[in-house]
Amino acid sequence: MTIPLEDVRLDERTVTAGPWEVVVWNDPVNLMSYVVHVFRTYFGFPRAHAERLMLLVHHEGHAVVAEGAREQMELHVQAMHDFGLWATVRKAGA
Amino acid sequence: MTTTVLMEVSALEAAHLTDLVAQFVELLADALDGGDDPAVARLVPDGYRGDPEAAAEFRRLTQDDLLDRRRDDAATVLTTLQRDGVVLRPADLDRAEAESSLEIELDAGALSAWLRTLTAIRLVMATRLGITADDDEDDDDPRFGVYNWLGFRLEGLLRAIED
Repeated sequence: MTIPLEDVRLDERTVTAGPWEVVVWNDPVNLMSYVVHVFRTYFGFPRAHAERLMLLVHHEGHAVVAEGAREQMELHVQAMHDFGLWATVRKAGA
Repeated sequence: MTTTVLMEVSALEAAHLTDLVAQFVELLADALDGGDDPAVARLVPDGYRGDPEAAAEFRRLTQDDLLDRRRDDAATVLTTLQRDGVVLRPADLDRAEAESSLEIELDAGALSAWLRTLTAIRLVMATRLGITADDDEDDDDPRFGVYNWLGFRLEGLLRAIED
């Protein structure tokens, strides 16, 4: 069987395996100062950026804190869990 | 940011915290034995939402490491809480001893263990206390006092790092 050339999409992989995100979710336990501390020390964000993300988590219920390859995002999520924050991996734009 | 922090607590506080962290270590031991305590489950939350299969696989790969680290961190905290190599227990302290103060010096590694351990114990307590919203609090329950005291100590350490 021959596949017609026009049906072969060489860019398909980039469509289905696009970037992934780390989402940090709000919880009533973690102190705001602690969340900022984690964002600064783990991701190396400047204070203003870490505070902005923390406030997003607090007010919107969640924030995207990183974007990239799935494996890398899973490492970040594990690190967030290690700090006691709840984070999940999801496909970007989901 | 400073990396070494000097913290002053009363011997009684240190003794109560020692007791609390020791209880936490027992919980972790049960969990590593395959227990399914919901309070411990909060320490190893889902890594994927709305995808139970991916979440289960993620947990399989990360759970033991995370719990091992909680145990190692707790062991570090317990060591720093000793006075001259002696484990403090609330019942062993007379009034004068209870009020005497203890200076705990925390280097970067110990500090990180303290932050994670205080946070983890607060997460466990929050599950036990049924805290699911920012203003869930029952002033008549003395456990909230302990929960808030851990938060106060955590906040103090974070402020000390920033100084």
